[in-house]
Amino acid sequence: MKSRRVVTAALLAVSSLLLTACGGDSGDSAGGPVTLTFQSLSDQPAAIAATTKIVDDWNKSHPDVQVKVVQAGWDGVYDKLITQFNANSAPDIIHYEAAGVVPFAADGYLADLTPYVSEQKRADIPKGVMDSVTVGGQVIAYPTELQSYVVFANRALLQKAGVTIPSGETMTWDQLREIAKVTTRDGAYGLGWGLSSPTAAFVALAPGFGGKYFEGTGRDAKAVVGTGELALPKLVDAMAQQDKSVLPVTLTQSGSKVLASFYAGQVAMTVQGSFQAANIAKDAPAGFDWVVLPPLAGPAGPAQAANPQTLSVNKDSAHVKEAAEFIDFFTSTENLAALNEADALIPPTTSAREALTAKLGSKNGWNAILSSGKHLTSAPYLFVDKYAQWKDTVATPAFQRFLGRELDADGLARALQDGWQTISR
Amino acid sequence: MRALARPAQYAALLLYILFLGFPLLWLISASVKSSRELNSLTVSLLPQQWHWENYVEALSRQGLVHSAWNSLVVALVATAVVVVIALPASYVLARLRGKVRAAGVGWILVSQVFPVVLVILPLFLILRTIGLADSLAGLTLVHVTYMLPFALWMLQGYVSAIPVELEEAGAVDGASRVTVLRTIVFPLLAPGIAATAMFSFVSSWNEFFFALVLLQSPENYTLPITLKMFIGGEGKVALGPLAAGAVLAAVPSIVFFTLLRRRLTSGLMAGAVKG
Amino acid sequence: MTTPTLAEKTKAAPQRRRGTLVRARRREAIALVMPSLIPILVLSVAPLVVALALAFTDARLVRNPDYEFVGLDNFGRLAGNSFFWDSLRIGLIWTVGVTVLQLAASMGLALLLNSGLRLQGLTRVLALVPWAMPPVVVAIMWQMIYSANGGPLNAFLGSLGLPDDTNWLGDFATALPAVILVGVWVGMPQTTVTLLAGLQQIPAELHEAASMDGAGAWRRFTAVTWPSLRPIVTSITSLNFIWNFNSFSLVYVLTEGGPGGRTMVPILFTYLEAFKNRNIGYAAAMGVVLVIVIVLLLAIYLRSQFRDDRTERRG
Repeated sequence: MKSRRVVTAALLAVSSLLLTACGGDSGDSAGGPVTLTFQSLSDQPAAIAATTKIVDDWNKSHPDVQVKVVQAGWDGVYDKLITQFNANSAPDIIHYEAAGVVPFAADGYLADLTPYVSEQKRADIPKGVMDSVTVGGQVIAYPTELQSYVVFANRALLQKAGVTIPSGETMTWDQLREIAKVTTRDGAYGLGWGLSSPTAAFVALAPGFGGKYFEGTGRDAKAVVGTGELALPKLVDAMAQQDKSVLPVTLTQSGSKVLASFYAGQVAMTVQGSFQAANIAKDAPAGFDWVVLPPLAGPAGPAQAANPQTLSVNKDSAHVKEAAEFIDFFTSTENLAALNEADALIPPTTSAREALTAKLGSKNGWNAILSSGKHLTSAPYLFVDKYAQWKDTVATPAFQRFLGRELDADGLARALQDGWQTISR
Repeated sequence: MRALARPAQYAALLLYILFLGFPLLWLISASVKSSRELNSLTVSLLPQQWHWENYVEALSRQGLVHSAWNSLVVALVATAVVVVIALPASYVLARLRGKVRAAGVGWILVSQVFPVVLVILPLFLILRTIGLADSLAGLTLVHVTYMLPFALWMLQGYVSAIPVELEEAGAVDGASRVTVLRTIVFPLLAPGIAATAMFSFVSSWNEFFFALVLLQSPENYTLPITLKMFIGGEGKVALGPLAAGAVLAAVPSIVFFTLLRRRLTSGLMAGAVKG
Repeated sequence: MTTPTLAEKTKAAPQRRRGTLVRARRREAIALVMPSLIPILVLSVAPLVVALALAFTDARLVRNPDYEFVGLDNFGRLAGNSFFWDSLRIGLIWTVGVTVLQLAASMGLALLLNSGLRLQGLTRVLALVPWAMPPVVVAIMWQMIYSANGGPLNAFLGSLGLPDDTNWLGDFATALPAVILVGVWVGMPQTTVTLLAGLQQIPAELHEAASMDGAGAWRRFTAVTWPSLRPIVTSITSLNFIWNFNSFSLVYVLTEGGPGGRTMVPILFTYLEAFKNRNIGYAAAMGVVLVIVIVLLLAIYLRSQFRDDRTERRG
């Protein structure tokens, strides 16, 4: 008995030793130039080039603080980061996204960048976007790139159905429904929406209907599913089942896959991430005439949840100040404009967005997409522990069953809330 | 009856080959299609337009060739080490009776069931303590360790299938144990060894998770890591270049299979019959 | 009288000899096993013991971990987690389905490859193709093949006049079978090679003797092939069972556990708990439960196999 207890104690001692007692070794403080590692996730060749150029510019003008880019893949980076942090071998500067880094910040791994954010920069970033990278009053990351959900439309099909292309500041979801109804003719459907992983879209678009999905933050958060949250799933269901204006197969496909139906003229419109504009320009058949419709607005306005890509600093870095200075340089108006152009994304700072609009505003779609960036705001789900688990094990199956008519709206609400109860217990 | 059997066998074989080979064929087809064609609803095995640029783009991606070299080194060394150290141990395991064998087999099973995500952190820390984190040597060692249970398990199965009487016959002839092993047991095991080597090579060549977590520097990345970088955020997949990279990545495995095929198939029982 | 001493001598001598023999053999065995044992102890047993120990703590993956021994609390909590048990059920359906089909399909292929057909060399290499495809692209490739519109599978079915609009991965009814088929595809080379190697080991005389007795193909299979292959079949099915149970990444990339949770497997749960929720202690408890379930199932299977073995040998 006794020996067993001793063994257990020894095991725990060993494991805690292994897990805690590993000194950081990123410091080379004894004079000489400082080297910072920057783990970048840029995946498009153009974005990799833009990142390299920014880093080269910095290295040229800062001989004392050299930045070394470590290219990593977006897919699987979370697993890599969590191991790096726990083994105390994380890079100094970390590229990721708000929803991904907030948990790390909550667990104490990220440096507080609040003192390094200049007044000017703070004024340049819309408050909603700034909030999405602020945890417990501390700025834990700089936003670098954003996306929104927009409606791409086939101009020829809309005109054939006698629809005038909406051109206001925003358009309502009811308008979208009407156009979808009218354009459902001659074997084509009005709308294609890739909802195979529905949670991201439903949660991001909920603010337009006053939906929040969560109340409270961290471990005390509660899932709330009421009218505002259910409005959008119900609307999609009504369009698919009553109006029959949604190509059914698209509801089980990824957004990229739906584009094939869009190019083939099987659907007149499609809801997509804004970055798809670049793919459409590249992949659509010659002569395909497309347009981006104005931002969608619900009863609560055109707001969408922002989940920006971010740059953060490892709290255990020996050179937090220098790293923060590099990030500040990285997020200059000129650099953000170049990077977002390469990735076909929306710059988070007003100045960079204006610069990009000036440069690309005449190019198809960019104007509408860039202006949709104004409506991006922070959302409660970013700050909820176990959101990832809720999304994968509760919300996604429940939404899929709802869209597949296995659950009604009440059943969906119950599944979402009860599921949260089960996993947060 | 007999006359019918052969054509039926060929038909069945053809179906198998179609089932097993078609995805590779489709991959090759995707590797020569343009992004426009891949993102359309047209279904065709042959591309409308041959788009070799995918290969150019794949090869020009950072480090594809270098990481393929890393993968090749790791896979070959790991395979050799696994076979050399698993062979004697599996023999002992198969010929042992009782508790030791049960413990060995039990361990092999448990080590394969426990989710790797739970083991990866302690493993990382141990590797760093012995100075092998973020190195190809460390990754090779990890691959060896995690392929060993399988190699042991399979090889001991093959050893069990060799009748003990054969060995005893050798021993009666006055041959030493080592000689018996070398001249009777190991040759009989050749197909099993070939199968184990193929498995080890492929597992190491394709292994992703350990490589992802253990390797920090891009110059150490292995091929699966580099290929995964074709898949970006938001599900943005550079499908054409990815397919091209994957086709290139398949070549070494196929060469390795072809080389080992003879080992796998030669009638090695002949050796025993002659002896 | 010399008889007793003689008796003593004859009794003692072999005993002593057996003693040294056993010791020598043991030393030899240790020397043969050591090279394998050391890496396993350092890089497999040690991390695993640490992880097992965590199951009895409230450890979290945070910057300054501070955790304590909580006994069986994690297991008590887990007992009330209905999602976990649901996924265990799905995981077992997936595992058993894939393992059984893998064995049946691979056995057929291995027999074909071993029956002296022409172009053997080529077909044997072609049979290994799924191995050569990097897992990173396997799921992407099958997603393309299964695609409801613009996929070759539906196009092929359409050309035969069959329904060509099945939404293989998106439909509640077809998703799990479709994923199982991919699982079978992925695991077939492994199983086929193993069985083929086993078939090669069966002495040709056994078959010849059986055919001389006038046994038909089926009779030869049941009388000669199957019994000789038995240990290898047992090995490979046990391992396939474990691997299939553990292979969540394939399912995850194909369907992300959807549609409607139809393909949610338990390892995914453990992963989410360990990495996404950072509750490594609770996740380790899940891992322990999975180990227990699998080991129990395998123990039952292996026992029945060994018992059959023994009765067969005796009979």
